Amino acid sequence: MPSAPTPTTEARGDRAAPRKAGRRFDPHRFGPVVGLVLLLIVGTALNPDFATWDNLMNVLTRTAFIGIISIGMCFVIISGGIDLSVGSMAALIAGGMILLMNALAGSVGSPVAVVMLGMLFALLLGGGFGLAHGYLITRGRIEPFIVTLGTLGIFRAVLTWLADGGAITLDNDLSDAYGPVYYGSLLGIPVPVWVFLAVSVAGAVLLNRTAFGRYVQAIGSNEQVARFAAVDVDRVKLLTYGLLGVCVGIATVLYVPRLGSASPTTGLLWELEAIAAVIVGGTSFKGGEGRIAGTVIGAVLLSVISNILNLTSIISVYLNAAVQGCVIIAVAFLQRRRP
Amino acid sequence: MSEVARYTRRLVLGAGLAMTATVALGGALGGVAVAADTVKLGVSIPAATHGFTGGIVWWANQAKAELEKAHPNLKITVKTASGAPEQANQLQDLVTVTKIDSLVIFPFESAALTQPVMQAKKKNVYVTVVDRGLTDTSAQDAYIAGDNTAFGRIPAEYIAKKYNGKANIVALRGIPTTLDNERWEAFTGVLKQYPDIKILDGKYANWNRDDAFKVTQDFLTRFKDIDVVWAADDDMAFGVLKAIEQAKRTDIKEVFGGAGSKTMVKTILDGSNPLIRADVSYSPKFIYDAIKMTAEARLKGDKLPATYIIPSSLITKENAKEFYFPDSPY
Amino acid sequence: MSLHVAFDGITKEFGPVRVLHGVGFDLHPGRVHGLLGENGAGKSTLMKILAGYHAPTSGTLSIDGEPVTFRNSRDAEKRGIVLIHQELSLADDLTVVQNMFLGHEIRRGWLLDDRAMRAQAVEALRQVGFEGDPDGKVRDLIVAEKQLVEIAKAQLRNARLLVMDEPTASLTPSECDRLFGLIDRLRRDGVTIVYISHKLDEVERITDEVIVMRDGRFVARAPTAETPRQRMAELMVGRELTDMFPDKHIPALGKPLMTVRGLTVPGWAEDVSFDLHPGEILGFAGLVGAGRTELFEGILGLRPRSGGTVEIEGRPVSLRSPREAMRNGLTYLSEDRKGKGLHVNMGLRDNLTLMTLRHHAQPLLSPASEDRALEHAVASFGIRGNPQGTASSLSGGNQQKLAIAKFLEPDPRVFVLDEPTRGVDVGAKRDIYFLIARLAAEGRGVIVISSELIELIGLCHRVIVMRGRRVSATVPADRLSEEELIAHAIGTHTHH
Repeated sequence: MPSAPTPTTEARGDRAAPRKAGRRFDPHRFGPVVGLVLLLIVGTALNPDFATWDNLMNVLTRTAFIGIISIGMCFVIISGGIDLSVGSMAALIAGGMILLMNALAGSVGSPVAVVMLGMLFALLLGGGFGLAHGYLITRGRIEPFIVTLGTLGIFRAVLTWLADGGAITLDNDLSDAYGPVYYGSLLGIPVPVWVFLAVSVAGAVLLNRTAFGRYVQAIGSNEQVARFAAVDVDRVKLLTYGLLGVCVGIATVLYVPRLGSASPTTGLLWELEAIAAVIVGGTSFKGGEGRIAGTVIGAVLLSVISNILNLTSIISVYLNAAVQGCVIIAVAFLQRRRP
Repeated sequence: MSEVARYTRRLVLGAGLAMTATVALGGALGGVAVAADTVKLGVSIPAATHGFTGGIVWWANQAKAELEKAHPNLKITVKTASGAPEQANQLQDLVTVTKIDSLVIFPFESAALTQPVMQAKKKNVYVTVVDRGLTDTSAQDAYIAGDNTAFGRIPAEYIAKKYNGKANIVALRGIPTTLDNERWEAFTGVLKQYPDIKILDGKYANWNRDDAFKVTQDFLTRFKDIDVVWAADDDMAFGVLKAIEQAKRTDIKEVFGGAGSKTMVKTILDGSNPLIRADVSYSPKFIYDAIKMTAEARLKGDKLPATYIIPSSLITKENAKEFYFPDSPY
Repeated sequence: MSLHVAFDGITKEFGPVRVLHGVGFDLHPGRVHGLLGENGAGKSTLMKILAGYHAPTSGTLSIDGEPVTFRNSRDAEKRGIVLIHQELSLADDLTVVQNMFLGHEIRRGWLLDDRAMRAQAVEALRQVGFEGDPDGKVRDLIVAEKQLVEIAKAQLRNARLLVMDEPTASLTPSECDRLFGLIDRLRRDGVTIVYISHKLDEVERITDEVIVMRDGRFVARAPTAETPRQRMAELMVGRELTDMFPDKHIPALGKPLMTVRGLTVPGWAEDVSFDLHPGEILGFAGLVGAGRTELFEGILGLRPRSGGTVEIEGRPVSLRSPREAMRNGLTYLSEDRKGKGLHVNMGLRDNLTLMTLRHHAQPLLSPASEDRALEHAVASFGIRGNPQGTASSLSGGNQQKLAIAKFLEPDPRVFVLDEPTRGVDVGAKRDIYFLIARLAAEGRGVIVISSELIELIGLCHRVIVMRGRRVSATVPADRLSEEELIAHAIGTHTHH
């Protein structure tokens, strides 16, 4: 701290009034919550089964993958970047970890140990892919859109090649050992929901209560200003992509035991769902400003829409996508910024 | 090729077209046929994006390997595309760069590829269309397809018979396409005759395991009493089984997939899952048959019949062995 | 073709905040009016009302005696009123001609009539003395040229009243001269001009009369010839301005704090050497483009260097980023406050602590600790404004104080300020000068890069003048004068 220079002129009371009131309460912040609550009411009205504990747990569990990826994506988008490859990355990680576990099953005795190794591998692979993105973007000076569009194709093509165009399936006894990671529950709440919750809390703390999170926001708000303010811009960006990669790894670790297989359709369009969750949740696509809680709500909201559509038959199945589109636009409208 | 030869060839094609309808599969065309010295066959198919198309790609390459080995004067070029525009571009390349004289194409979309195929045909390429017919059939010399009506009809008849005309069914659908509509109409058409069979609902799950899992979860939440799930695809059946297993539902007696994938046929053969007892064949192997038939006919200078439907049949424990190909990925 | 404007009882409220309190005065046809006032006095808001960007909350705007209501700037343009923004509003990636017709394109049927547009544009550009390429992109123009394009564009719309907001903020003296010549000609053609500037010498030079606003109210108007600069400043601030600058306490030259030898930043600065001593305020003068800003960006590692050495407190350093500079005790506040100095969309607190977040992390950030830092900075730097708002909600002067506070948070030994009073009102300027003097008195070395000669003369202990990428002179305090500095900057100096 500098020793404080004392005020050099006496304060002039006549113009101390703030020019513009601070935004302490902004109703637009609550757009996604309002949207979600309305959807919950509509869902319950249309089918009483909607409001059952089992259905809500189903929805939260299946949201977990996209939700966890969205939290990583939230950091990347706030920093002013984008990652289009997450769906393909998840597919390739899933395929890679299944192949590894199947291969290890012979040499490592305990299926649980094999599964642990597989999970560790998935996280490392995800982090590695993410850091590779970050490296190409920061050191290689290539637009993130292009880098990740490239890897979107590469990851999925490699998986398809590994799978011979079909599916890579986990051996049965491994499947039994691994199953509880998706199907198990703790205190009546499925394991993926717990993990989703933990990642959300960690993400919120990281974004709002650490120097790293502040740097991410500062870079997204104005990269030059951050650079002049002695922020190590490249390193922070690199880490956001690494973080997203690890999130994809976590999501994959939860995904694989669900079906015990990876195929070329695994993770298809997850990138769009994750990006949509982040934006619907109130994060600015231009970067700089974003919210983890909003992202979580955005992700849940997206899966609630399709859940409601599946639970009812009032709308022609041909129009499902249109309903989703309308809800997304409506929520975005509720939380839009004033110019 | 000399002017004369080209002229002759066009004549042959014209004559061939007029006659194909009456000629049996693989049958000789008589004296007018001219055996080609070499045949350059192009194969244009969708890229492997799910189990079924993965099988298509595998069977196409299988055909290439076997046929090129058997016929030294046959050259097969296999191209995979991930969308209709890409397929149209590849078609142009096949004609102008690879200079193919015969084409086997599995079109992404009927309408979008009719013109590109027509252009190829105008360049004297012999065209065999597989699975999805073109909107203008004059663009094709031959059409070989799986039986989509039977794909829907057979499971419907099987269910009606096995459950004595009384069952609650939920159904999954693929991606909104004419193909899917044909199957769906055949399925519902049969079951209309059985007033006690109720189709509770049918939703799209995009021929995708994950979507099938989610849709089934929601069906299970919504309907408390289900007898049969028509998954309409073996990939989707896989997701359905997982969702039922998770929900621990015992009311469901059977899950009927479709297409006869390796794992499903094996399950039926072994009787390893009580929910899986029958399937309907719709094997990606038809691309193999189409390539083989086209290549051999061209080598001999023969024609194929205008339309050849590869029948779909019911697979049960009794006949499952005939449909089991352990080397295929699908 | 002149036009008479009358404001009567104009008030303007943004939400609960009233920024204009019943302003009333006239603008006389064919005259150049200097509109004076501190930042926040309401000048810009009033001019935006005149040019149709804002509607008044109450009051009347009359043109040639007839009350008017503009719905947008197009309506105002139709009456011949054009505002040239402080931040020039040209599209960088379009050509000069395309910009001049942006939104007013000449069409022939569905197509644009490029030939007609080009012919008209070239004629208008010729009249204002623009010598660049009319088909070149605006991105490639220097600020002075952009300004000419703006004026030519206004001419094309047959402007009868031109509002110029800080037009000389980034012009060199010769470019200013040319602009003043143009203003003179426009006046003779009968165009009414409102000239907003903080530079009182310019106001004195080119305006016919001055109108002073303060706190959203009209304060005074007087013929320029009868109003000395000192009086103008006093009217703006509303109190006696006895002394703008602090006393100079020139330190005894001992061991230098920072030593630069033979530093070259290719394309920008060549073979630059200087020393900075503890307690010293060292000025850098020169024309825009002389390489001063780029020299320091090179020292920070933001531009490649191709030779030379830098020592800070006797340690040789080779900085690769502002981060390394900060660790070695040097911070740099850019001239580009919104682009490189502050996150204008972020809060005051987040801006202040960005460089020193580590001090507030244990390991999680402590908002309480950050708030204490902000409270401390608000009190000690006299930052006025809503502490919960964003930096953009502060006036220019308070933004600059916040920026200075931010770059002082890491407690640098060497502090470089580039154009520290750009866009800052008179009162805040004085605050900043006294602050700089205090920083030097604490034993820091302070470097001030400035285009305002009066500021360099009044504040600095020594001034280095750069010309054409090189150091052309080092002028000690006792020889500092406008004439001396200009002579070194433009190269007309002859050695005594």
